[in-house]
Amino acid sequence: MIDDLTTYAENTWCPGCSNFGIFNSFKNAVKKLEEKGIRKDKIIITAGIGNHAKIFDYLKISGFYSLHGRSIATAQGIKFANPDLKVVAFVGDGDSFGEGIAHMIFAAKRNADITVIVHDNGVYALTTGQYTPVSEKGFKGPSTPKGSVEQPLNPLALMLEAGATFVARGYPVKGEHLTDIMVQAVEHEGFSIVDVLQPCVSFKNTYNKYNEITEILDIAPESYNDFDQAISIVKRKDKLPIGVIYKSQNQPFHKGLYGEHNPVLNRVSKEEKRGMVLKFLKNTEE
Amino acid sequence: MIDGRNEVFTFIVGGKAGEGVKKAGSVAANLFSELGRNVFLMDDYQSLIRGGHNFSVVSTSVSEITSHYMKADIVVSLDKKSYDIHKNHVLDDGVMVYNSDLLQNEQGLGIPITSQAKKYPRPDLMVGVSAVSILSCAIGLDREELEKIIKREYGKDTENNISYAMNIYDIVHPKIGAKFNLNGKNQDNKRPILTGNQTIALGACTSGLDIYFAYPMTPSSSILHFLAAHDQDLDVTVIHPESEIAVANMAIGSAFCGARVMVGSSGGGFALMEEAISLAGMTETPLLCALSSRPGPSTGVPTYTNQTDLGFALNSGHGEFPLIVASPGSIKEAFYLTSEMMSLVWKFQTPGIILTEKHLSESSMTVDIDVGKAMWAEPMSHSEGEYKRYLDTSDGVSPLLFPPSNELIKWNSYEHDEMGITTDEADMIKKMHDKRKRKQDSIIEHLKKAKTVNIYGTGRPRIFTYGSTKMSVLEALRYGKIDATVVQPIYLEPLPIWELDKFIDSDSVIVVEQSSFGQFSTLLKDKVGLEDVIDIKKYDGRPFDPIELSEAIKEVI
Repeated sequence: MIDDLTTYAENTWCPGCSNFGIFNSFKNAVKKLEEKGIRKDKIIITAGIGNHAKIFDYLKISGFYSLHGRSIATAQGIKFANPDLKVVAFVGDGDSFGEGIAHMIFAAKRNADITVIVHDNGVYALTTGQYTPVSEKGFKGPSTPKGSVEQPLNPLALMLEAGATFVARGYPVKGEHLTDIMVQAVEHEGFSIVDVLQPCVSFKNTYNKYNEITEILDIAPESYNDFDQAISIVKRKDKLPIGVIYKSQNQPFHKGLYGEHNPVLNRVSKEEKRGMVLKFLKNTEE
Repeated sequence: MIDGRNEVFTFIVGGKAGEGVKKAGSVAANLFSELGRNVFLMDDYQSLIRGGHNFSVVSTSVSEITSHYMKADIVVSLDKKSYDIHKNHVLDDGVMVYNSDLLQNEQGLGIPITSQAKKYPRPDLMVGVSAVSILSCAIGLDREELEKIIKREYGKDTENNISYAMNIYDIVHPKIGAKFNLNGKNQDNKRPILTGNQTIALGACTSGLDIYFAYPMTPSSSILHFLAAHDQDLDVTVIHPESEIAVANMAIGSAFCGARVMVGSSGGGFALMEEAISLAGMTETPLLCALSSRPGPSTGVPTYTNQTDLGFALNSGHGEFPLIVASPGSIKEAFYLTSEMMSLVWKFQTPGIILTEKHLSESSMTVDIDVGKAMWAEPMSHSEGEYKRYLDTSDGVSPLLFPPSNELIKWNSYEHDEMGITTDEADMIKKMHDKRKRKQDSIIEHLKKAKTVNIYGTGRPRIFTYGSTKMSVLEALRYGKIDATVVQPIYLEPLPIWELDKFIDSDSVIVVEQSSFGQFSTLLKDKVGLEDVIDIKKYDGRPFDPIELSEAIKEVI
């Protein structure tokens, strides 16, 4: 489908891939954000490497196609240089909880004001189906033909402990619901993570399972900052609640670092900058 | 006095980490600069916080000086180890001042450095002050001048430090008062004393640095500390993230927004950035890196110097892309070269490396800096019409546009088309490789018009060297009165072969470097075609001493 948010790039996701749902939900989120006064040109995207990352080529939105695991580092660099921008990092579960886990934890810890959307399919699909850090014990893939012997990570519990100030889970089959979560995540000032349950039709088809066990969360917004409640929700095994799980206010990293400054928009002129260096040298002489 | 360099005066202070040795060295350097002398300060310290052995050497002269000398007019040894290590570093007419509370009946002058300090609350932390006292007295400063210096330099516990300094002065004065009177003999021209890491930081600022990213790693850390301490004075944002991988990738994200960025590290940390160097090559990101070497491989010897990351720097990043590597040959050169490199990486949108060493990063010199002569980094901006990030141009350089913009701006780590959309189509792959290759050719054309090699002297032999070793070589020639031609390539990638091949000689040439494998020598043989090469190498972590180096050169000519 060609619209004003879609490029000419040929779409190579498998037919029935839930990445289409994420793609459409995000495009709708951008439209809603525009209605709320957040200009499209101020939304910047980054992506890691994997099937999730192909969204970078398909979305007609400016950004940076980063390295495997580094999407969140790139996104933070963008935000810290120009905090006027709304930066959305698309990541895979292997990408961000494997290769790039340090960036994920530290972005949450420092409350970097970015939005991370995890295409969480529990499998390295672009490299033909290996287990990821969130795959269940016993998962059989080409690198673990006898089954993975590791316990999986619980990504959202980890993010809550690390200091994320907006934690949500979405499911692309519930497209409008996911759009609404994405809008709130981008609007939130601070580190937002949206874990999107993403069935992979080729290597890990979880549609039936998720259709059965996801349930839309119904918690009162005034209890969004209840940390213990959030932990108990993300640790549930019988059901996979979807929706906004946790939300709290905390100073984002860039404001703690330089307040209302903007390194690229408020950069001083050549003359002023050189004046500063001269002043420093003069002080050193005295 | 050093024969042949009579005007050079050298002071060594040695002691344990935590005793204020480094501080005493830096105070001495300031004091000499105030007298109008040129100063070279080298700090030798170990990777520990307390104990061990640290020393500072301050060599000074009324004429130009580009190295410390390991032969001193006055040595102050705060402990026994310092005495043992430095007793051979005293000139024939020099003085060893030792701590008579820890040693007795040794050659030299014993001063009760420790027992005098015990009158004060933190004696172990203040003994370094005694070295300043002893030096001041020996070079003919009076009590008032000493009091002024202590007041200015020791902000904490000033009263006790002054009292201690005066007691030491009064003990020393009858014995060696004004033995080396340097007062009034000098030019009236006080200049700032800066480390190489400071001139790198200031050079970057002068070219427009907006954000500095780094993870601590000796000997690059003092760039991070210096910029963090002066972030507001210099309008720089300083960020210390979780790893060097984050450092490089964040910096690339910031450059995408138009921020002039720099990152800094040493070998191991820079190894972690390699993937991002290649990313900067592919995405055509202006990324300036300061790489300050210490002896490797691996963790190596953190607080010492060598030049064994040359091959590593030249071959940074997987794949083929234009990379610029330059190495400053002096602390002053580091200022201008950093600004020039910032301007080059923005002009050509590709990664660049300032390759240096601990010896340049952490040594200090009196330097004259003309801020007006530095370069300013200015991107070529897209003006109008449809924007294509990777527009295929004749020089390979595509105009830049930064977000927010109504135009689509896509930077891509995958091979891409002109819009920045991923491709694996054969013609497009070739087209983009050609574009990056043309950019490489444009860099070479640009450098052919620039100063890429420093030449000193006109005599024989011809001596090839680079980086901080250039400072040692020039001082060795001054000391030994050797009339040679020194050839120092500033740029190492692309290597200015068009300049260097003018110096291919029918006689043998000398290559001086700090590497056991002789990487610089190999580079010159491979790329410039030097054949008959005599290598002078040092790889014990210590910089060359000019006297030793001069002897080594004389031996082979």
